Amino acid sequence: MEITREVFRHFPLWMQIVFYIAGLATIAFFLYGFYRRYRKYRRGTDAGRFNNLVGRFFKALGAMATNRTVYKRDTYAGTAHWMIFWGFVVLFIGTVIVAVDHDMVELAFGAENRLLQGGFYQWFSLFLDVFGVLFIVGLLMMLFRRGSKPPQLDYKRPDLKEGQYDRSGYKKDDKAFLWLLLIIGVTGYFIEALRISADGMPAFEVWSPVGNTLAKMFGENTANTLHPYVWWIHGIFVLGFIAYIPYSKAMHMLLDYANLMFKDDLAAKRLPRVSEEKMKQGQGYRKIEDFTWKELLDFDSCTKCGRCHVACPANASGAPLSPRDLILDLRTYADASIGNGTSEWFGQTYATGVKEGKGEKAPAVAGDIIKADTLWSCTTCMACVEACPVGIEHLTSIVNLRRTLVDAGTMENSLQDTLANIGDYGNSFGQSDRMRAKWTKELPFKIKDARKEPVEYLWFVGDYASYDSAVQGMTRKVAGIFEKLGIDFGILYEAEKNAGNDVRRIGEEGLFEMLVEDNMAAFEEAEFKEIITTDPHTFNTLKNEYPEFGASYPVHHYTGLLCKLLDEGKLKFSKKLSHYKVTYHDPCYLGRYNGETEAPRKLLEALGVEFHEMRRCGANSFCCGAGGGRIWMDDSKLEKRPSVQRIEEALEIDGVNLFIVACPKDYTMYNDAVKSSGNEDKIAVKDIIELVEEAI
Amino acid sequence: MNIIVPIKQVPDLVEELEIDSSGKDLDREWLKYKVNEFDDHALEEALLLKEAHGGAVIAIALDGDDIDKALYAAAAKGADRVVKVTGNYAGISNRAAAKVLAGVIGGMNPGLVLTGVQSVEDRDGQIAVLLAHYLGLPHVSVVTGVEVSGGNVTVHKEYGGGMVAEFEASMPVVLGVQAARETPRYVPVARVRQAMKSTELEEIAGGDPGVSSGSSISRMFKPETGGGAEMISGSAADVAAKLAEIIKSKM
Repeated sequence: MEITREVFRHFPLWMQIVFYIAGLATIAFFLYGFYRRYRKYRRGTDAGRFNNLVGRFFKALGAMATNRTVYKRDTYAGTAHWMIFWGFVVLFIGTVIVAVDHDMVELAFGAENRLLQGGFYQWFSLFLDVFGVLFIVGLLMMLFRRGSKPPQLDYKRPDLKEGQYDRSGYKKDDKAFLWLLLIIGVTGYFIEALRISADGMPAFEVWSPVGNTLAKMFGENTANTLHPYVWWIHGIFVLGFIAYIPYSKAMHMLLDYANLMFKDDLAAKRLPRVSEEKMKQGQGYRKIEDFTWKELLDFDSCTKCGRCHVACPANASGAPLSPRDLILDLRTYADASIGNGTSEWFGQTYATGVKEGKGEKAPAVAGDIIKADTLWSCTTCMACVEACPVGIEHLTSIVNLRRTLVDAGTMENSLQDTLANIGDYGNSFGQSDRMRAKWTKELPFKIKDARKEPVEYLWFVGDYASYDSAVQGMTRKVAGIFEKLGIDFGILYEAEKNAGNDVRRIGEEGLFEMLVEDNMAAFEEAEFKEIITTDPHTFNTLKNEYPEFGASYPVHHYTGLLCKLLDEGKLKFSKKLSHYKVTYHDPCYLGRYNGETEAPRKLLEALGVEFHEMRRCGANSFCCGAGGGRIWMDDSKLEKRPSVQRIEEALEIDGVNLFIVACPKDYTMYNDAVKSSGNEDKIAVKDIIELVEEAI
Repeated sequence: MNIIVPIKQVPDLVEELEIDSSGKDLDREWLKYKVNEFDDHALEEALLLKEAHGGAVIAIALDGDDIDKALYAAAAKGADRVVKVTGNYAGISNRAAAKVLAGVIGGMNPGLVLTGVQSVEDRDGQIAVLLAHYLGLPHVSVVTGVEVSGGNVTVHKEYGGGMVAEFEASMPVVLGVQAARETPRYVPVARVRQAMKSTELEEIAGGDPGVSSGSSISRMFKPETGGGAEMISGSAADVAAKLAEIIKSKM
């Protein structure tokens, strides 16, 4: 007996022709939907993402093949997704092989030269059967997961009341996507089973184990009758699914590869500059054409997995911001404003209360579509960007929209005052720039002025370390340790200005540029090789953003430098601090933004403390709520401040009595949180430098 | 309607202030200047009125330290014209300043003149009154919130003890603004920089005031610490009697 199977088993010619016509129509419909998307992205401005295309291609391919971004921190969803993904890919390739074999090889070289016969057919059958099982099991796992209602899949919005929005379309899409695939997978096995049974159970079909087993359920005649019906059910669902892809969440199969490929590795860490042209007209976004094509692609790439939604400290503390809803609202806005309303069959409409813009003034994207309160709620902690499995850069869009608000002066008075202070005096405290180095007066030694004598390390002290009376003590301790370790360092005294990390994230780009110019002028005056700082915010902008303006220096956080000296044997501890039971909070701008999670832990290990990790640590750390200018805004409306939530998280660890930080803003935020939550008798906040000083 | 807003720069109190060698003025060599807070409110009120009723806002200032910066900032916020009155006006008194300003403003067909009710370095808080005098216009001072309807303005004036009076005046009128209805707006640095490049700063030569202030500074000094305090206790009558006694003894 010939080892193969008949394609279009026993179908009359007309039926085959009908299928081909339906198939071509489906493909045309698919391509049209795809074109609509493409047309939308073409409306965006340049995003500068066409460098290193080969590298980008393979990096994204690796991420897609391994599903590692989906797997990260969610083993269950990652595993299920991996099974569905590879099941789909293998079944798709199998179908392509069948098509090529039937429509090309057989036509060109004759039936005797078909690929799908003999040993190849048997391996092919086995392979597809196994991956088909993975596919179906993965889908069932996902269905089960949806049924268990995990918080990230809850469509509840933090900014609107029930009834003010309608997410039923998304829910339908979620169901349709899973069920379509499941029906296609299951009917596929049944066609196979019916064919095997109708063919009289050929012995070689044991290589299709699932189909062969199911085939035993049907008598040969029944199978023969049923086969074309089930075949057509399967066929209609398959064609339907192909047509559905570009108009639904299924589009993520294609878009999200592209989005990962074009992702900027420095997204959020280095914000996009504003062109001179834009600065003249008024910075920020006002219409759909202001967005880059990558941003438009971001909005469409969202699968509503909700990882950003549950990672976001604003959302967690009752602020009217969910990064997921923000992206989805911008998607709706993008489609509505270019008349692409049907690019999504199961989309949402504008939330109630948003002006539709018909006849009257069009809704402002920054202010009406995305409310000012929503934009100002962001702490720029980057948890959303880090958690997103498909490379969405929420933060870039948030800052771009904030820039519009800043241009119009739409902000809290306290923030406005702070910006004015930074503009007038170069610091957020509204104190004279001549007072910047006042903290050094109490030191028993004089810190070198890097403008007057060459130093190896320029210490960029930063605002909080310089001006905040609660942090100044810590700053002096750092100075004392540096001095003791013989580090050749100096500071810029009154020439140093706020580095501008948070100013930029507030969206005040002009002020940021001014600060960069001022600081660079001070760098020019000074002679040094490398920069050190205790402030992770300063660290980030100096390391990732200043180089674009021409200031490229190696930048170290003090924990990194101390760790290096520890490794070199220059930093030695005379005491073990084993009586402390500590946990360590990774500052967003150190751990998540810049991947520096090892140095502080190595220091703590060398200090001999009893160390315990919090539930969320490293790149998954939880924000204190101070970043992106939030420290200068009102947080009294929050249900529970992120800093208090974090202290409670630390207290989940039995017996931990020290909360170690490595960031001046963290020091003030958490000291405040410990006091205001009445936990002073349980836990104390210390900067890591205090432990170093104690043990040295 | 032309809304004229005279503004000025005052020493920034964030900096440490020093008295100069004459003992009658601040040492201005290291001083930083910022726009008078009340003038900022006057400008904000003017911009709000313009946004609601149309018209043109003209910011005007006598030449002085860092005044260009203040005028450009006003332009960036939305002033339609910015005018610098040139001349040597260092240390000018309110009376003289009012006369010079009135000479220029008089030719601008003013509908409303809004200026800050006072400044940290002014000696009398009379700038609005004096301006009105030299312009021959009505005035209300210590104003919070201005409403325009037809040719009239309705304003609120604050008095001590939490009293507020409502005034109606026919335009043109001079108003000394205590506070605008909204916090003065933030103007992004990019807009100020843009204004510096694209705004025409008009210069008009100011006249000789020909008048001087009725008061003069005899000595400027930092608050002096006294020799300690005596706490008076007892009933109200006892305390009052003791106070009266002390006051009598010092007279």
